[in-house]
Amino acid sequence: MDVLETIKARRSARSFTDQRLDRHIVEAIEEAILHSPSASNAQESHFVIVQDEVRIRHIKRFAQGLSGQPAAVVVLCSNHQEALARGGADSADTLRFINLGVAASAIMLTAQSLGASSCPVRSFHAPSIAAITGLPEEVKPELLISLGYADKPPRPKTSKPPKEMISFERYGS
Amino acid sequence: MNATEANPGAGDMGERMLDFAAYVLTSARALYREPQSYGPMRLADTLEKGLELLQSAGIRDETVEQAMAAVRESRPVAMTDPDGFAEALDRAIAVLVQATLEGKPKA
Repeated sequence: MDVLETIKARRSARSFTDQRLDRHIVEAIEEAILHSPSASNAQESHFVIVQDEVRIRHIKRFAQGLSGQPAAVVVLCSNHQEALARGGADSADTLRFINLGVAASAIMLTAQSLGASSCPVRSFHAPSIAAITGLPEEVKPELLISLGYADKPPRPKTSKPPKEMISFERYGS
Repeated sequence: MNATEANPGAGDMGERMLDFAAYVLTSARALYREPQSYGPMRLADTLEKGLELLQSAGIRDETVEQAMAAVRESRPVAMTDPDGFAEALDRAIAVLVQATLEGKPKA
């Protein structure tokens, strides 16, 4: 599947089959993470890939936005101290979140291109997720991505008219 | 003898209760910062999960199930069509009002 087709096919999945994630998809996601860029090459992000059923249930318990029974959950984390030390104040304040967004896109598109579905989730109780995944104090969870094989077709897409989202040369034109 | 020994299904019920309590409290905590429209959705989901918990304990009520039909039907658009979801909640409430006027449930 080419890149644009993958982007257009990706939709958030909130209900999954009970099939485990194929090993090659997990490996591809590892590669995607390792090849994601970071501002100033600060590399302050960390990613915990969870596939253990019990741990996923425990994560779900404190992640009210995580729907369905995913085969895996990626916990996208950021280290503020490392961002500050390696990337400066811009990285610590803003760029580390952009870095996670770029990595999140790479994870979801990699999964999509290999036949798996995903959903990004921000509705969770961060201290609980940190405890369940054993994060050190300086590493905070900022986003979850559920992964699995969708068992329902995606909802119809709703989006703003293109003119409200894209301008050429100057805003509004 | 603990609860699990007394009732082989109690262990699973304990896990379900933990799932439920954590969902409700985590939702409540998050709503301080989440969009206002998340509130009705989380409450409806809380009711759904509560009903599932009761059902797993063998408790089910036809009137409530009838009321929930409208909510379940509109749940996918809770975020994208809040007015539509509000109407679904009104329809569900109307079912409960009707049951109340009819004196249900009978003792």
